[in-house]
Amino acid sequence: MFSSFAKAFTNLFKTPQTIDYPLTPIEQEKEHRGLIEYGQEACIYCLKCEKACPPGAILFVPVENPPENEKNKKGLKYHYNPYLCIYCSECVRACPKPDEALWQSNKKSLPATKEDRVNESWFELERLKKQTD
Amino acid sequence: MKQTINIPLGSQHIALLEPVRFKFECENEKIIGVDSDVGFVHRGIERACTTKFKFDSIGYVVARVCGLCAITHSLSYTVAIEKLLGGEISKKAKYLRILLLELDRIHSHMLCLSHTCENAGFEAMFMRIMGDRELVMEIQELLTGNRVQFDYISIGGVNRDLNSTVALKIKENLYEVKQRVLGYMDEFTNNWSLSLKFKGIGALSLDDAYIFNAIGPLARASGLNIDVRNEIDYLPFDEVGFLMQTHSDGDINARNLVRLNEILNSILMCENIINGLPEGEIFTKIKGKPNGEAIVRFEAPRGELMYYVKGNGTAMLDRVRIKTPTFASIPAFSHIFVGQDYADAPAILASFDPCLSCTAK
Repeated sequence: MFSSFAKAFTNLFKTPQTIDYPLTPIEQEKEHRGLIEYGQEACIYCLKCEKACPPGAILFVPVENPPENEKNKKGLKYHYNPYLCIYCSECVRACPKPDEALWQSNKKSLPATKEDRVNESWFELERLKKQTD
Repeated sequence: MKQTINIPLGSQHIALLEPVRFKFECENEKIIGVDSDVGFVHRGIERACTTKFKFDSIGYVVARVCGLCAITHSLSYTVAIEKLLGGEISKKAKYLRILLLELDRIHSHMLCLSHTCENAGFEAMFMRIMGDRELVMEIQELLTGNRVQFDYISIGGVNRDLNSTVALKIKENLYEVKQRVLGYMDEFTNNWSLSLKFKGIGALSLDDAYIFNAIGPLARASGLNIDVRNEIDYLPFDEVGFLMQTHSDGDINARNLVRLNEILNSILMCENIINGLPEGEIFTKIKGKPNGEAIVRFEAPRGELMYYVKGNGTAMLDRVRIKTPTFASIPAFSHIFVGQDYADAPAILASFDPCLSCTAK
């Protein structure tokens, strides 16, 4: 009983385990698995990342004005869905030029609003991809 | 005239972490019959594994079966595929796999213990254990890059190496956790709310544990020497200092003490792994398509987890069957409830540490 009184007394002077969130920012781990980033100039359009991605969050879809890159013979454009991505970095491991064409950052994805049409625009891309296959 | 009264517990209840429904048939205060329904969070993962995903991405799919033992699920599946493809992974990868498996066990057991405290009405202890659990979550994030969904294991090894700063941080935090757990041992043996109140409640005898096929901490608390880590050879558990923890009482208090002792043993194993981590590659490329059948068992925090995988030489599998620890323990759970007071039911249920999203998958 005395020990519990002593413990209760010392607990009065302890710092809290929680942080004062908006005033104190959350510490971001350097090695946190976050969004996948893409370097269009270095990409060789081998589509290995698209095949490796477990949830299918990377799509290369043919567009009218494709990005200028001599390796891009089929006129494809890279699309990435951060809301579908599970941040497993299978794509980065599959990439022949990691760190230049595809790498993992420690950024977190922002919440989307209805105006962003996250689902609808992605379903359109998936339909387009199916048509070209 | 009917002499009994049926009282439901769940599917949503203040004492439950996940949806499950128990229907207790009570005679005055005593429970004389139990009926349970566990299928509230069915997501069709087994079906998705054979229709939607290729075999090399299923490791990430099955990790989503459960948030608490995600690593055991992906590890079991990956080892099954490695068995079918016939590849050998490096010793360092094996050690790192055990490291994360044991870290996962520590935080899962801490969650269960805190939940037991909450159900005993000891809110302060619940907060304390959950706060200390953050120490483990922190090192899991440092090691794998995420707090819950680790995505650490891939076919052929592990995805990230352990560097010296992370290793040092893991050692520091585990030392801290060890001191805290030794403190809990004192509370769980001497505090009235946590020990004397639980003594003799929800007891399972050794014979009943054997008859009703109890597994995991539930069986070990009844004195049954059963632990998959002692029986398998795909990971070198004997080299890192694994010791089976058993107790003879079989009641709620015994289960809590078995979990506490297992945390201490897991901390010892993690320290041994970090001190004696072998040199080598963390990833070996394994090529081919799975053909044939494989069965793999692992000790999840709640008991034996079994994976059956059947491949046909193509990228899509024929069958992935998951047998989870909670599912295997349901007969033992139902038996324990019979003869107990209805008021004790939430405390007994928390001491089982049931994982319903695993069971319903």
